[in-house]
This record gives sequence, structure tokens and C-alpha cells, in this order.
Amino acid sequence: MRKRGDNTDLEVRWAGMWSFMATETRVQIHEWLAVVTGLLVQAALLVFVWVWAPALLSFALIGALSYSAFLVGQRVLNEAAYIRVDHKLNELYHASPMSPESYFVGMSLGILLAYLPPMLILLALLEFLHPLNALAALTLLLTLLAVWAFSSSMGYCVSTVFKDMRTIWPYSSLLTNLFGILPPVFYPLRYFQASLRPIALLVPTSSSVALIEKAAGMAALSPNEVFLGAGSLAVEALVFIVFGIYVARRTAREG
Amino acid sequence: MTLRKGERIALLGRNGAGKTTFLRISSTLLMPTSGTLEVFGRDVMAHPEQVRPLVAVVPQEGKPFYHLTPREQIYAYLRARGIDRETAKARVAESLEQMGLEGVADRLSITLSGGQKQRVMVATVIATKAPLLFLDEPTIGMDPFARRAVWETMRRLTDQGSTILLTTHYLDEAEALSQRLYVIDGGRVLVEGTADAIKQQVGGTLKVSVANGEALKEQLSAFGEIVSDGGTVHLITHPEQINEIMATAMRAGLTATVGPVTLEEAFLKIVGRSIDEEAG
Repeated sequence: MRKRGDNTDLEVRWAGMWSFMATETRVQIHEWLAVVTGLLVQAALLVFVWVWAPALLSFALIGALSYSAFLVGQRVLNEAAYIRVDHKLNELYHASPMSPESYFVGMSLGILLAYLPPMLILLALLEFLHPLNALAALTLLLTLLAVWAFSSSMGYCVSTVFKDMRTIWPYSSLLTNLFGILPPVFYPLRYFQASLRPIALLVPTSSSVALIEKAAGMAALSPNEVFLGAGSLAVEALVFIVFGIYVARRTAREG
Repeated sequence: MTLRKGERIALLGRNGAGKTTFLRISSTLLMPTSGTLEVFGRDVMAHPEQVRPLVAVVPQEGKPFYHLTPREQIYAYLRARGIDRETAKARVAESLEQMGLEGVADRLSITLSGGQKQRVMVATVIATKAPLLFLDEPTIGMDPFARRAVWETMRRLTDQGSTILLTTHYLDEAEALSQRLYVIDGGRVLVEGTADAIKQQVGGTLKVSVANGEALKEQLSAFGEIVSDGGTVHLITHPEQINEIMATAMRAGLTATVGPVTLEEAFLKIVGRSIDEEAG
């Protein structure tokens, strides 16, 4: 006979995650216009690049993919805050067998799933313009997952701080611009001030773009830069997801 | 404070008395600053993960997912709690029926009225059949029919062994539904007991109201404590004194009406006493 604390409990705690993921995807997809407009900034920047520097379109497409993965985290920020502040649904889920960490991971996965179709469109365009080799495809997959993990965790943590949606919007906008527009995400790293390149490689969005471009043979990175970019991205993603789980557990019960 | 299995308990108190705080602590959502609390023998502070499968909460002012239908919302929540598909489907149908939501079961919650949304929240939680249910103002915004449907469902659930702790500002609801009541203020229990026992604490079981009875205040005060409300004088008293009070009013050519003491009067008196003590 199974006892408390064995696999049955573990299964129940994490079984809730898949269900909550499906719930979140369903909720997000219902707002299909939000999913579509999630591509607006990327599309606008791609048009600018296409008009002014068509040779850089593939770079911008990789940037658009990284930006889209980062944007998922900003949706997590808004959604987690919205259902906590406006709906109090977090209380419904936290006072249940579902663990706080599966609530957080389920939400992040659910939103990722809902926003995947626009990313696939960008990917198809990239494949059309610049077919990726196996290494580049793998690099793209892993680095975008790392960007998503970093951004979702950061979004969830930030969401727990505020008690009013109006306060959250400026922060969401600030983070999106800081991580998605300013660093070399939509433009190649080589156009960035040389002395600032290491900083760009510490930013998850721009380091993912640089690594993909390097793997695809589109840009040159020194071994040190590859090490710095890949290492920082992996560490940041890991640290933030662990911190996100910690925050999810801690905030499931207010102190 | 001890809750027995299968009981329906109401927590009463003015705004900020600590009702929601107590519910949130009990349901593992808030860490207390002191004290101990056990749910079915499990320490809420030390082992919240052991308590959570045993409880379900209707949060105060909670709202369903706007872009899910009531059917989807309840089903999704049951699945998140680890309930299998078949059982979840059966419980969704049962819960929708109990809350009178069959007609809107497949409409998006955003299109429902405030009372219907609240019913969705209650339906979501009762479908869990958790052994301990916390309902924070569960019938707020509901029409009288819906409120009675909730009461009926709560009675059925406790008959089946669930325990219910609710907060409400509707004192008729507390009286109709609860087997025991706790009146709290400032985080302290002021009184505990059945509605009848609490009503006994106001110094009588009947309330006499004498219209335009200001001139009789001195005479009437001999029969009990008097409260003036506009020109009407209210007096809490005992049945054996009724004839004399009525005769006094009639001699003065005034109209007097008699009714039972309500829980609201008892509540106002008990909490008022606490406020006076605090101020004094």
C-alpha cells in the first residue's frame, strides 16, 4: 500500500501542472488578437530592416524569435498578476493539492504553447531565407528555451510584488525594451560598441541571438565570447527558474 | 476554536475583524504570527502540503476565468487537483445542476452576471468534495433563489461528511445555515454558540418597538435596555413582560409591535460592547 509522500503525491502535485498548462493555453488562445498582436513589434522592425537593410533580414528574424521568446515571460508577468489581483484564482489553486511550483511552471508552459504559432511563422520565414544547419537548429531551440525560462521566471517573480495592475504595466514595458530592443537583438552584435560586447553577451536575449548566428555561420564569435554567451545564458536561465520556483513556493503563502 | 466533522460554522464580524485572515490562515494561504492550527490533525504551519489536498476555498471577491465557460472552469480545476477525467465530468454536471448553472454552462464566464460568476466560483469549489471547505462571503451578489440553492448544497455536503467554515455579512444566512457561530472582533472570539444561544445574550428574546415612544422612554426602561431609532423606541425584553409593556404603550395611545430578537440585534450588541470596551 502506498503512503503519503510517495509517488502518488508527487504525481498529483505535478499532474496539476499539465492541466493548468492546458487551462492557460485555452485562456490565452481565446484572446487570439493578443496572440496575433504579439507579433506586431517584431513585424514592424522586420519591415524596417527589409526596407533599409534587406541583407540583415535573417539577423532580424533570429532577433524576432528571441524577442518573442522573451515576450512570453512578459505575458506570464501580466497573467500571473491579473489572475492574482483581479480574480484571486491563485488562492483557488494554492489551496489545493497542486504545488505552487507546478502552478508557476504550468502557467509559463501554457502561455508558451499559446504564443508558439507566431514563433513558428518567424521560424518558417527564417528557414526560407537562411536554412539552418542541425547545430544552428539545436542552438536555436536550446537558447530560445533558456530565454523563455529566464523571462518567465523573472515575469512571475515581478508579478508577485505588485498589488495593482496599473503599477505593473510600466515595468512590463520597461523590461521588454531593456531586454528586447536596446541590446543587439534585432541587429548583429558586430554593430554594437566593441567594448560593450561582453555586456551584450550577458543579456539572455542578445546572447541567444549571437549564439544562433554563430552556429548558423552568420556571425563570428571568439571562443571566449561563445563561452561567455552560452555560460551566462545557461546560468541565468537555471538561476532564474530555481528562483522562480522558490518565489512561487514562498508566495503561495503570504507571510 | 474547534470545528467538528460535518459541521457548518459561520464566522461573523465587522469589516476588518479578522474573518478572512482566519480563513486564509486555515487554508494555508497566510502564515500566522502566532498560535497553532491543525486541520484533521495536520499542522497547517509546518505541513501545508499535507493540508492542501483536504481543503478548498472560495476566495472573497474571486472571479472565474473570463474566457472559460463554467463547465470548462470547473473541469479544469478538478483536473488540476488530480481528479480523473470521468469523475471530474460527473462532478461538473452535478455541481452545475446544484448551482442552477446548466443554462449557462457553455457560455463564457465573461458574459455572466455578477451573481452567476459567484455561483461558478462556489460550483467550482463544491465540486471538489474536499473534506473541509472555506467559503469567504460565498453568496455575495446572489439573488435569493441562488442563495437558497447554495444553502441547500451546503447542507447536503455536510450531510455527506464535509465540514464548512463560511464568513458572511448576511446574518439571516448565518442563522439559516450554520449550526454554530463565532462572532469575532479584532482577531478575538467574542462569543460562540448556536444562533439562539447568541441571541439570548442581548438580555431578552423579544423586541418591542413603540412608534413615537420618546415620551415613554423612562417608563419603558424599567423593562429592559432601550434603543432609540428616530422617533421609535426599541426595547429588548422577556415574554412575561410583554403584557405590561403593551398596556403602558396603549395607555399613552401609542402603537407597539412585538417580534423576536434577530441575530443582527445580537450581533450589533455584542460587537458594540467590544467596540466600547476598546474605546474605554
